[in-house]
Amino acid sequence: MKKAIRTLLATSILAASLPVAAETKVGFIYVGPKTDYGYNYAQDQGRLYLEEHLDDVETVYFENIPENADVQRVMERMVRSGVEVVFPTSYGYLDHALKVAEKYPEVHFAHSGGLKTSDNLMTYFAEIDQAMYLSGVAAGLTTETNQLGFIAAHPIPQVLRNINAFTRGARSVNPDVTTSVIWTSSWSDPTKEAEAAEALISDGADVLTGHVDSPINYVQVAERRGVYSVGYHADASQFAPEGWLVGAVWNWGPMMVDIVNSAQDGTWKSEHLRGDLLTGAARLSDFGSAVSEEDQQTVLDRQQAIMDEEFRVWAGPVVAQDGTVLVAEGDVMTLEETEKMDFLVEGVEGRLK
Amino acid sequence: MESFITELLTLLFAALRSATPVLAVVLGEAMTQRSGVINLGVEGQMLLGAMTGFAVASVTGDPWLGVLAACGAGTALSMVHATLVLGCGANQIASGVAVLILGGGLSAYYGIPFVGDKIDTLGNLNQTFVSDIPLLGQFLGPITPTVLITLLAIPAISIFLFRTRLGLRWRSTGESQDITRNLGHNPVPYQLAAIAFGGLMSGFAGAALAVDYTANWVEGMTAGRGLVAVGLVIVARWNPWYALPAALLFGASEALNLKLQSWGVDISPYLLATLPYLIPLSVLMLSYRGLRASGGGMPAGLRVVFQSAR
Repeated sequence: MKKAIRTLLATSILAASLPVAAETKVGFIYVGPKTDYGYNYAQDQGRLYLEEHLDDVETVYFENIPENADVQRVMERMVRSGVEVVFPTSYGYLDHALKVAEKYPEVHFAHSGGLKTSDNLMTYFAEIDQAMYLSGVAAGLTTETNQLGFIAAHPIPQVLRNINAFTRGARSVNPDVTTSVIWTSSWSDPTKEAEAAEALISDGADVLTGHVDSPINYVQVAERRGVYSVGYHADASQFAPEGWLVGAVWNWGPMMVDIVNSAQDGTWKSEHLRGDLLTGAARLSDFGSAVSEEDQQTVLDRQQAIMDEEFRVWAGPVVAQDGTVLVAEGDVMTLEETEKMDFLVEGVEGRLK
Repeated sequence: MESFITELLTLLFAALRSATPVLAVVLGEAMTQRSGVINLGVEGQMLLGAMTGFAVASVTGDPWLGVLAACGAGTALSMVHATLVLGCGANQIASGVAVLILGGGLSAYYGIPFVGDKIDTLGNLNQTFVSDIPLLGQFLGPITPTVLITLLAIPAISIFLFRTRLGLRWRSTGESQDITRNLGHNPVPYQLAAIAFGGLMSGFAGAALAVDYTANWVEGMTAGRGLVAVGLVIVARWNPWYALPAALLFGASEALNLKLQSWGVDISPYLLATLPYLIPLSVLMLSYRGLRASGGGMPAGLRVVFQSAR
């Protein structure tokens, strides 16, 4: 009897010491280092925003997780340690996340950029190609050689959208412009990116941009060689005080707050959540001094037209490299079509595969 | 014709830029292997050198201090290999891989606060007399100090190795430790110096990447170039003079990959990306035909490492 009372007492003390309202644990998984000053950095800024703006949230993160079965193990570990909302932030995590999501129906998953959902897996992304289009407008107005250079990692839809949007933006104000693309076959290889920038500049490009993990490498080479640069992922203007035009940057925080809130209050929807210039999830950075007041106004006017939905980046005619009309005048590509993009547009020089 | 020459020179100097960090590692590793020790950890030493060099350049504002610190960091990490191999008699291959992973991890961890920093560069030859040389000036002008230092290291190493008594003992250590001992010399100090020199050169190569060329620190930024350099030592037949064409071959294929894309040549970028590996490998296979018996210049003492690893 005495023993039973002691056990009862011990159990109640243990129960009392547990926190009453448990914090929601949110887990993030990054394919590269969170300090890459690019894609992963932007996602991690979102995580920090989440911690700052929601009191009852605790975050954990794992960096440098490859897009293979490893990420499944990481997700399982997170779930077992009590994580209730998982953000697998890399494109290649999608199928692995779907598998883990099926196994743990009570856990919520928010995948970045994917095109598949399940009951407890939604996707989020932002139409950053709108900001890339606007950067292209600035580039098209600024270039003197009418040659733009684009340093790209891998030919996946997100990258192709940016190359095409950038080129379409530039050609909308300067039809003579062409964009040369160099593929580095790596999200992060600073030497190759710098050398690609050198190659593009020596062949006549006078505005460089790219879609690799960090804009710092090509922006610095452009500045050193006295040409202009357009950033991507994160603002790199401090690396190019002379030649910085503008850049397309992410702002994930508010969107992540919405996602975690919906998981907490039961309004979670299995959907493709997409932000844009209007919601602020993708935006244009500040202009550099190399863009004239007049040109800045042209870009901002176009931005207003996009936000007011008077103008759409993927409205026809969309013409492929070889001159084929892919989208006729009057038609607009759907979001799903743009997110599966597998072509380069007229004005782009370079091969897809 | 003139534009053709210009394009050719552009490519050559691009090759030299790409080749420099690799060349520095090849020179250092060839010297290490000349003493009968192989160090697969050079990639890790490069990374630690790159991170340390960038961090010191960022904190002190002096990129030259960064280069020195990078050399120190590469040397320090190579001492782990020396301790394991010379002190504990550990397997050289295993110890090298341990150093490789250690360097990658240490540099990633301690490099975090410096990501996105902006550093001053070492400058280049512009505004010196060379930029006034007709035709060549535009190519010589952008050459940076680490390129020059690496090129000057070739004759220096060559003179040391082939023209000095110390160099002779260094080489004899690599051929046979027993003979060296019989001659009354202790091989260990030579091997220690050889590992340290390899560490110094790989640390310097890291600085060439992070402090000089890209002025940027990114985790894992060497992207396998250290391991490529270990392979190129074989192409260079452990000879400092051959190290230049071997490294240039890699640099040129890397530059060509990007340049052909910029020119809009109609070849798949996937195929082009294999060039930096395909071309040196082909040259290795072709140049080693008929050389098999002699081992292509491999120090005899080094062969023992691979035989004992079996």
